[in-house]
Amino acid sequence: MMALLSQRSFVFTLATILIPLCFALNADTYSQRIMTLSGIYAIAAVGYHLVFGRLGALSLAQGCFFGLGAYSASLMGVHFGLSFFVCLLFAIGFTALIAALIAIPVLRLGSHYFALATLGIAQLTLLVAINWTKVTGGANGTYGVPQPDLFGKTLSSSTEILLLVWFILALAVGLTFWITRKPFNYQLTLLRDLPEIAASSGIDIGRWRLKLFLLSAVFGATAGALQAYTIGVVSPATLEFQIMVSILAMTVIGGKNHPTGAIIGAILLTHLPEWFRFLETNYLIAYGAALLITIIIIPNGIVGIFNNFIINRVHHNLKSLLEDGKKIISYPTGLSLKIKNVSKRYGGITALKNFSMTLDSGQIVGLVGSNGSGKSTLINIITGLQRHDTGTIKLDDQFIEDAASYKRSEKGIARTFQTSLHSYDLNVFEAVLACSRNNLGIEEREQKTHRILQESALISRAGVMTNQLSAAEARKLNLCMALVTEPKILLLDEPAAGLSSAEQNFLSNQVRLLAQSGLSILIVDHSMDFLLPLADRLICLNEGSIVAQGLPEEVLTNSKALESYFGMPKS
Amino acid sequence: MLETGIQLFINGISLGCAYALITLGFVLVINAIGAVNFAQGDLVMAGGFLSVVFAEFIIANNPHPITGVGLFILPLVLIGMACFGLLFSMVTYTPLKSCPPATVFISTIAAGLIIQHGINAGFGPEPQIGPALISSGTLAIGTLTLSKQQIAIIVSASFLILCVGFLMNKTQLGRQLRAAAQDPEVAETIGVNGAQCVALTFSIAIALAGAAGLLLSNQFFITTSDGGLFMLKAYIAVTLGGWGRLDGAVIAAIAIGLFEVIVATLVSYILAEALLFVALLLILLFRPSGLFAEAIQRRT
Repeated sequence: MMALLSQRSFVFTLATILIPLCFALNADTYSQRIMTLSGIYAIAAVGYHLVFGRLGALSLAQGCFFGLGAYSASLMGVHFGLSFFVCLLFAIGFTALIAALIAIPVLRLGSHYFALATLGIAQLTLLVAINWTKVTGGANGTYGVPQPDLFGKTLSSSTEILLLVWFILALAVGLTFWITRKPFNYQLTLLRDLPEIAASSGIDIGRWRLKLFLLSAVFGATAGALQAYTIGVVSPATLEFQIMVSILAMTVIGGKNHPTGAIIGAILLTHLPEWFRFLETNYLIAYGAALLITIIIIPNGIVGIFNNFIINRVHHNLKSLLEDGKKIISYPTGLSLKIKNVSKRYGGITALKNFSMTLDSGQIVGLVGSNGSGKSTLINIITGLQRHDTGTIKLDDQFIEDAASYKRSEKGIARTFQTSLHSYDLNVFEAVLACSRNNLGIEEREQKTHRILQESALISRAGVMTNQLSAAEARKLNLCMALVTEPKILLLDEPAAGLSSAEQNFLSNQVRLLAQSGLSILIVDHSMDFLLPLADRLICLNEGSIVAQGLPEEVLTNSKALESYFGMPKS
Repeated sequence: MLETGIQLFINGISLGCAYALITLGFVLVINAIGAVNFAQGDLVMAGGFLSVVFAEFIIANNPHPITGVGLFILPLVLIGMACFGLLFSMVTYTPLKSCPPATVFISTIAAGLIIQHGINAGFGPEPQIGPALISSGTLAIGTLTLSKQQIAIIVSASFLILCVGFLMNKTQLGRQLRAAAQDPEVAETIGVNGAQCVALTFSIAIALAGAAGLLLSNQFFITTSDGGLFMLKAYIAVTLGGWGRLDGAVIAAIAIGLFEVIVATLVSYILAEALLFVALLLILLFRPSGLFAEAIQRRT
């Protein structure tokens, strides 16, 4: 709790709940009704921000969850006379179940198909609600939904209902903060902006997506149930696209990356029809205009304006941790990587053909070959970002070729990426922290992050946003993100490309030290000046097959290697 | 029996042709900017209302009672909506061109809301009936009687589809549009003005939506809340036909129209709708990257 209170963002959120609530408590019944509606939509929007803002997934199912919650709770209340609390729990359970069923096929879809699939499900649900007249009451809906009751007492005054709704909102926000607490918030940003790095840094993307999708469904259902109980009727209107669009608009206008944004957006937009009364039932024009203006002028919403104030960037309070000289990073030694007969084809093109190699502890192996010879494909296959067609990959005596990417990272395989990867919403420290091992406490994770940045001479840039780094710094950061997972096997994809010779020297020293401490390292690079003095062994690839391997000087004099890679004519 | 079957088939094809126009515009924008234009359905509806207004104006200013002014209005609607398309792209796309595609998705949702409820504020929620394309009547071929109206819809939609096909495949302008869609940066380096290409694509796409609105507005009436379903059908057609493929999208859209008419006539319209969504979800379940190969790499 104290830790939460020390976060500016939490205090800010608390204020956006308490201040409007205080005003509402002293207001007239009509204003209280509108604030109740604000609270209800805020719950749904906080749920939606988890999927849309945090995961970056364009879901159009939040309105559907809202309607499912409204229907399941109120039909239980009307037909079985159960208490509000029981109905609410039923609605949450039922909606979560549906969401879980939807999640299996839908969560793996690419963004456009995801949007369409969630929209299709929402439309189907609407059709069911309209046409299953016997149960739902059809197009007219079901009237006579009871007022909410708590501990046997019916909440009839608008103040009581207002308090109930805003209390539940506070719970939802608290749960959101807990789930997305440090360092998970950084992991979420990483998996949204750079899913490949996240997966190869031990972050289980599938689990996060499922978790937040289900949570959004739970919040949506809660909001729907509260709405039906507040207005006393449930009708297909709760499932219509307007609700979805309203929740979307609230989340975007308030600020999609923060729960506070959802609350601010909900309060603003539920009051908007009051301010634009001349539009009458066409108040959605105002929603549309507000949404359009927001996304053009302030894409991160209202909260985005205060971002620097709300979000404490973490590196500042760590100065004291530095100077103890203790070795806190350990690279467990003694693991080897054995790749046997791995093949991979893309359509008609052979990327790898019966590739085999062994990487022993403490060894540095260089992999050379012209562009398209299969080097990056190999690294992608070892880390699990791509599936191979045949062959085995063994880490010591464990076969890992079927394991998910994040599992391979947990077992000790780390990599860097060839392309410079920029995340937009993390600073250097946070990006490395996000990749640190999940089984450690937060303090230990911060210490390790700090030490790694120090060893890589990047600590002075700890507070810089990742998209402001130079190309060389971005490569360093990429290496730090790999090292902080405390790997046993390290795969470097063109680490020296674009580095000056001084920077290359720094990197080779670092790599040599890592190998001495027991790491097995595979380096793909084109720079022979960098690779030759460093590598214990060199492998030359051409069109997916090994043409030469052995000591660097042997490979350099091998005629096949000379021909295929170094471009020299046959002598 | 055979006659009913053929009549049903013609009905389905004519609805499908109108869907094909919507879908063609939808997919052109997807290819040009890598994002979905969520307002495409509302623009169809807007085109329908524009036709209603044009028709009323013409009929009110003509001393002789006339019917079937649709074919005369079609070019006016195309031009009007194409101009509106330029404005539309200036508002919803130009300020956001460096943002991720999801942003444009949202700006078009917003624009759709404004269009739908703006027209609703002007005309109200009651269905409006648009002009017939030609004066009504039937065409007798042997024992077969066909509605001239349907034939006119099929002919004019096919003509527009062929025009777009010709423009995209056979003209220098089309080659430029496709180049700009495929790789805007490289296209810029060889002298293609990317911004102009996107604006032009929007304007073609929205003109097509408007034409579809005119074609649909007589037989099916037009209501301000119709947009969502039009958009959804175009979206489904693009998924079925292979993301980004013009030919696939047109064929899928015609198939959807045909399917809808046949199921709706034999059983019920609701079943047709429901089956369409179920089919979509099943396809996405078993083929997460769409039914056919994607023509372009997704950029998201």
